[in-house]
Amino acid sequence: MRLRTARWGLRTCRGRQSPGRPCLLRHSPCACGFRVRGQDGRRVPAARVMVQLRPRASRAPASASAMVDEGQPASEEEAGHGLLLGQPSSGAAAEPLEEDEEGDDEIDDEAPEELTFASAQAEAKEEERRVRETVRRDRALLKEKRKRREELFIEQKKRKLLPDTILEKLTTASQTSVKKSPGKLKEVNLQKKNEERGKGSDSKKAKVQKVQTVGQNKSYMAVRLKDQDLRDSRQEAAKAFIQNCLYGPGTNRTTVNKFLSLENKRLPMKKAAAQFLNNTWGSQRKQNAKRFTKRWMVRKMKTPKT
Amino acid sequence: MGEFNVHRVRFFNYVPSGIRCVAYNNQSNRLAVSRTDGTVEIYNLSANYFQEKFFPGHESRATEALCWAKGQRLFSAGLNGEIIEYDLQALTIKYAVDAFGGPIWSMAASPSGSQLLVGCEDGSVKLFQITPDKIQFERNFDRQKSRILSLSWHPAGTHVAAGSIDYISVFDSKSGSAIGKMLVDRQYMGVSKRKCIIWGVAFLSDGTVISVDSAGKVQIWDSATGTLVKNHLVSNADVQSIAVSAQEDSFVVGTAEGTVFHFQLVSVTSSSSEKQWVRTKPFQHHTHDVRAVAHSPTALISGGTDTHLVIRPLMEKVEVKNYDAALRKITFPHRRLVSCAKKKQLLLFQFAHHLELWRLGSTVATGKNGDTLPLSKNADHLLHLKTKGPENIICSCISPCGGWIACSTASRFFLYRLNYEHDNISLQRVSKMPVFLRSALQILFSEDSTKLFVASNQGSLRVFRLLEGGFTHLHSFQPQSGTVQSMCLLAVSPDGNWLAASGTSAGVHVYNVKQLKLHCTVPAYNFPVTALAIAPNTNNLVIAHSDQQVFEYSIPDKQYTEWSRTVQKQGFHHLWLQRDTPITHISFHPKRPMHILLHDTYMFCLIDKSLVSPSPLPPVLSLASAFLNNLSF
Repeated sequence: MRLRTARWGLRTCRGRQSPGRPCLLRHSPCACGFRVRGQDGRRVPAARVMVQLRPRASRAPASASAMVDEGQPASEEEAGHGLLLGQPSSGAAAEPLEEDEEGDDEIDDEAPEELTFASAQAEAKEEERRVRETVRRDRALLKEKRKRREELFIEQKKRKLLPDTILEKLTTASQTSVKKSPGKLKEVNLQKKNEERGKGSDSKKAKVQKVQTVGQNKSYMAVRLKDQDLRDSRQEAAKAFIQNCLYGPGTNRTTVNKFLSLENKRLPMKKAAAQFLNNTWGSQRKQNAKRFTKRWMVRKMKTPKT
Repeated sequence: MGEFNVHRVRFFNYVPSGIRCVAYNNQSNRLAVSRTDGTVEIYNLSANYFQEKFFPGHESRATEALCWAKGQRLFSAGLNGEIIEYDLQALTIKYAVDAFGGPIWSMAASPSGSQLLVGCEDGSVKLFQITPDKIQFERNFDRQKSRILSLSWHPAGTHVAAGSIDYISVFDSKSGSAIGKMLVDRQYMGVSKRKCIIWGVAFLSDGTVISVDSAGKVQIWDSATGTLVKNHLVSNADVQSIAVSAQEDSFVVGTAEGTVFHFQLVSVTSSSSEKQWVRTKPFQHHTHDVRAVAHSPTALISGGTDTHLVIRPLMEKVEVKNYDAALRKITFPHRRLVSCAKKKQLLLFQFAHHLELWRLGSTVATGKNGDTLPLSKNADHLLHLKTKGPENIICSCISPCGGWIACSTASRFFLYRLNYEHDNISLQRVSKMPVFLRSALQILFSEDSTKLFVASNQGSLRVFRLLEGGFTHLHSFQPQSGTVQSMCLLAVSPDGNWLAASGTSAGVHVYNVKQLKLHCTVPAYNFPVTALAIAPNTNNLVIAHSDQQVFEYSIPDKQYTEWSRTVQKQGFHHLWLQRDTPITHISFHPKRPMHILLHDTYMFCLIDKSLVSPSPLPPVLSLASAFLNNLSF
């Protein structure tokens, strides 16, 4: 076997080996069909691998019709490849041809082999069948692949949505929370955790609505968007800016109380401020106290009778 | 007299909200005023400065700019980033368009009225095209580094001045590129750490730009060269607003100290043609910041945090020097916020977000005229009813028997049933509302509390029958021809037969409630109606207009009464006509059919119809005697 250095300096066997046997030489991929390592030991990309063996156009004139379309690009690639490899042709169809090509660059003008028509026809048919089969196999493979992908997508989608049981529970839970009446606590039995319902007895107060936690291992809480304050941070920032500009530090502003009490505080006998009492302090406590005294009075009135 | 017990109610803690923006419309002589709670009020300056329309406020709408565009269209923009157009005929909001620039700080309509410019928080100036039914975004001008706080168009529409923080930029409106930038000193003659905020800019036709800023300066720039021409230090605090007259010979600025300064273009010497801006008049009518000023052809208008709207006519511009040229201060609302349940002695107070129900105090002592009687039972705060949602309450009413309370916001209608047991009160909300009953402009209960009359926008009037559990819809009176001119007022006769409704330009309509059809229409008058009432037995409709005219119309006879014709022939006394606040309530003495009681903001008056008779005395004196019983506080 003669070793030929390819253009990029890798040794190649020029595809002399039979397809069944691995090529023992270290060279770039060629018609022997195996991925081999280049000279520096790295694997050469598989794109350069030629998997198929096909008849050479020149050698089998009767099988010109057998040239299927798939062969064309392969032939171009091969032709290109062959150029790079310095071979006028490659891809031996049959072993005896290989032996013939041994020294083809010396003996270029040898007479072509003689083949019988029947064998050539059989060859061509065989080739056709093989090609058709590969195409069918490819299509089947593609279809299967597509089907698998579809199934995968469906499964992923299903996985994304919560399982049906949990969805059901959530919807029933939200319905029951809407139908609540003030002062009544409803116990809904759930899978795992105890529910937390912030239900105020006064329906006018703002409620923190927490739906009960669902799920086996998950610990999240679903809250209503209505209960959260929709705070627009830009609007808040703008309001803070204007508040700072007009009433913040550096503006020479004071309260009415301080303004009116200035004189009182500067007198030799200091007096109280103009608005000494702030009646708004503790308004809630005062209200509660008033209500308590009312109820206490009512109770006091009732007890002597009983 | 001693025949009335006068209750002095001092527990209505009404706090108005401050004025944020003011916009004057020259063609219709109307003023749009926007308050800090989002309410927009429209004042008709030629109808004796009466507030004829208003749009209720909203909590999220922090309006920062208001402007009129071509064709009487009103736009506002605020810190929620939306541009809102108001429908002045239907008294609702037409639409809100988000400008996508963050909070909007300023807005200006082009001199031609067909384009709208907004200055946003992110430093962008956006141009919108005003189409017949909406506005359309056209282009962004060059983006600036800090928020655009004020905008002004050149009168020819070619350039735009935008005031920001520490600088003013001048844009070319065709291309949108910034052609100049004028840096503002942070302090008059000095350095300061606090940034200088340009609160207002004004562009004049000769290319001068006037700016007012937070350091208290009024500066006059030449926009062509970008240089400072003149610097006036006007106050120690911010100067927050500026407005230029249409003739560009005077402008007015408002400061944070409550002072309003008037600048005028005067010649340097009496003979020379060179003119300069000179500060001529200071006015101190406000106690707090003056955040908005406007300049009409004859008056200076200012409004601020102290909630007063002050209209100061300029003496040199006013043609006829009569009482009209006096200062006008609009402090109190021009509509009723208190309703009374006569039988139970209850008062319902309407606030922005809640209602309060009080029972009047009572006394057992008696005395003579002028005595102060001690209370045996104090006034009692029965109910504090808060409405849900961010919207303000438009109107409210309590039935005369005290059993029903109705109130309405812009999107919801509330009806409550009250039950009194011993000293307790229980409230029940009627939950089933018909779909068409969304918002009401005016609500009224009939005298026997069996019917509810609701005037909704677009002029339709609905009648409901009140039942124990709820109410049923009886009839809808559809709007007659004529656009909605002002807020609707309703009046019902004590015997329950007649219903009067005003508000359209066609006049006051009178409907027959029993037969559910239109009975007659009082002829239209060119001033809006401020109060309506129907007398008990005679069924005379008394109408008060904003120019202080009072008419009496007989409903059964379908014509004006004799008294009304006589009074109109003789004319009212000039002192009566010179009052500057509108009459907001008319009532009647149950036992004396010849008396009409009415009041405005500053006086309570009793008209004795029998005193006016055709007599040989000159008209002035005979009418003056008719208004003798003038109880003023």
